[in-house]
Amino acid sequence: MTALTLDVRDVTKRFGDGETGVFAVRGVSLAVEPGEVVLIMGPSGSGKTTLLSMMGALLKPTAGSIHLDGSEISALSEGRLPDIRLRQFGFIFQDFNLLSALSVLENVAIVAELAGLNGRAARDKATALLRGLGLAERLDFLPEKLSGGEKQRVAIARALINDPTLILADEPTANLDSKIGHEIMRLLRTIAKDQGRSVVIVSHDQRIRDIADRVLWLEDGAFKDIVTMATDPVCGMAVERERAVSAVRDGETFFFCSRGCREEYLGGLRSGSARIGRGLAGWSRLPAVVLRSAQARMTTSTDSASRSRSRLGRFRNS
Amino acid sequence: MSTTLLLARRNMARNRVRLLASVGGVALALSLTLALDAIYAGVANQLTTYIERAGADVWVAQQGVRNLHMVASSLPETVVDAVGLVDGVAAVTPIIEATDTISAGDVRAVAYVIGLPVGGSMGDPWDIVEGSAQVGPGEIIVDRGFAAEAGVRVGDMVGVLGGEARIVGLSKGMASLINSVAFVSFDDFRAMRGGAPVISFVLVRVAPGASPEAVATAIERLVPGVTAQSRTDFVAQERRIVTDMSADVISIMSAVGFVVALAVVALTVYVATLARRREFGVLKALGARNRTLYRVVLVQATLSVAVGFVIGLAFTTGLALVLGRTDLNLELAITSASLVKVGLFAAIIAGLAAILPIRQVARVDPAVVFRRRAPA
Repeated sequence: MTALTLDVRDVTKRFGDGETGVFAVRGVSLAVEPGEVVLIMGPSGSGKTTLLSMMGALLKPTAGSIHLDGSEISALSEGRLPDIRLRQFGFIFQDFNLLSALSVLENVAIVAELAGLNGRAARDKATALLRGLGLAERLDFLPEKLSGGEKQRVAIARALINDPTLILADEPTANLDSKIGHEIMRLLRTIAKDQGRSVVIVSHDQRIRDIADRVLWLEDGAFKDIVTMATDPVCGMAVERERAVSAVRDGETFFFCSRGCREEYLGGLRSGSARIGRGLAGWSRLPAVVLRSAQARMTTSTDSASRSRSRLGRFRNS
Repeated sequence: MSTTLLLARRNMARNRVRLLASVGGVALALSLTLALDAIYAGVANQLTTYIERAGADVWVAQQGVRNLHMVASSLPETVVDAVGLVDGVAAVTPIIEATDTISAGDVRAVAYVIGLPVGGSMGDPWDIVEGSAQVGPGEIIVDRGFAAEAGVRVGDMVGVLGGEARIVGLSKGMASLINSVAFVSFDDFRAMRGGAPVISFVLVRVAPGASPEAVATAIERLVPGVTAQSRTDFVAQERRIVTDMSADVISIMSAVGFVVALAVVALTVYVATLARRREFGVLKALGARNRTLYRVVLVQATLSVAVGFVIGLAFTTGLALVLGRTDLNLELAITSASLVKVGLFAAIIAGLAAILPIRQVARVDPAVVFRRRAPA
């Protein structure tokens, strides 16, 4: 059995007490192996960020435990967490979160210095990393002078500088165009496979599915069973194909959240004024595979073929 | 330390307007305190210049009189010979001194008038810019500043001690913001005061190798009715007058400067920290400890205050140099005691100014990194 990098066991996070209390995450379990890329998807408010914050030791779970390389980090005191975050995790954010007053090189080197490396060694290491990511000509630039893709590569270099076990990425492609977003995705997969680092990504971006070993669907704070999703071409709502109202046109099946949307769609076609594309019309043609809540522990192979088929996740929901 | 210094420096330099406001505010506030200290120190220097430059090692006055200014000393003339007989005394010169007004036309100025005996070896003016250094009957030496203000020259008449005297010399370096020093002949002074055989002070030069303090003690023991002080003690007493007079004003102005500087630094560091709240959260998320971030804030406040202090000091020094080249009888003396005091002020300001921002940093939630920025 492979040693797990991250083992989330029956974790719950509740904000507030009594009747006003809200469960952001309910009894979630997740195991991530070394070198594995796990993508967590789900609608807004599903608890993705809360789960990511707990996995990154930024938030304590209300119940359950989180283990990193066999150590229970959720039980550590606040005073010990900065060291864990500094040396064991690499964070990548949607907004890049680079320090605006520091140059590219300093943004990366400072994290190594925080970990105890002396200034010269930190700068040398940061320079090598940044060169490797194609930023050799940008070392002295301020973040404001960089493109989105360059900023995210700096953020990746910063995440890697202390040789972390686990990289946690929050919407890493959300502020990038399609081409750059794809490059960043490939880079994250390469880092995972070549360097054996585990990568957990939280994203709405369907394109990331291509590089993930597993795709998990988080909804209402819990992982759901796999279902096939589509987008209502009228209102843009994500709907489960198996439960949705459908209509066939030119041999292609469309799925709707309600009969009303279907009637509006078909009526529009007849009158030539349907509001097709009011939602995410383009995305509606990209069926998504997600998970429905389940009790079973499922495992999938990580070879490319099986990934492209379903990429079911290993998870345990209580 | 390099990490914190780098962050603090860059955070400061990133917003030049804020940096300018912070450093400028501190410089201005500390300059206020430094300049005021320097003015009073300058006045003290000016007031004690005559005592220090008169050439006497020991000053003998009426019993109980320990100052030259703002008091009157009256000694019988016989004291001069008695002092001269004390072991360790090499030479004695009696002088008469009074505070009076010198007038020329409509210009009247307060002056310490010194009556000098003919042939005295001490107490003469030491820097004559025009005319004679010796005063005879009916003659006076006045400060060149007064002469310029009154429009009089060597050979002109001025009013003094209820009579008139002809200017025979112009001196410099003896006037202060408060008054100048004028010299008349011993006999004229005595005549104008009714001819009583009294003097104000006996200036004593001690024999080579003799201790002024020991000689002063011996004089007090052997000559009744006198107080004898070494020059050093006499100067210290004189400075105490200035200190006593200025203590309240200096304290109030120092407090004002302190509060202004504190408010400026605290506000600018607070605003700078507020502006970088998210970045502090990012650093926390990346693993920076709170104490590291506190140091960044503290270094930022310290740098603002230190740069402000240096600029304030440079400004005050420049002001002192400029004033020294004018005819104003105003000397700015920046003393080491004042530097230590204002430096301590600055350190306390930096520490206090960092408290609020540090409390703010302590409350930053590292999970802020996952919150989306508001769209621009």
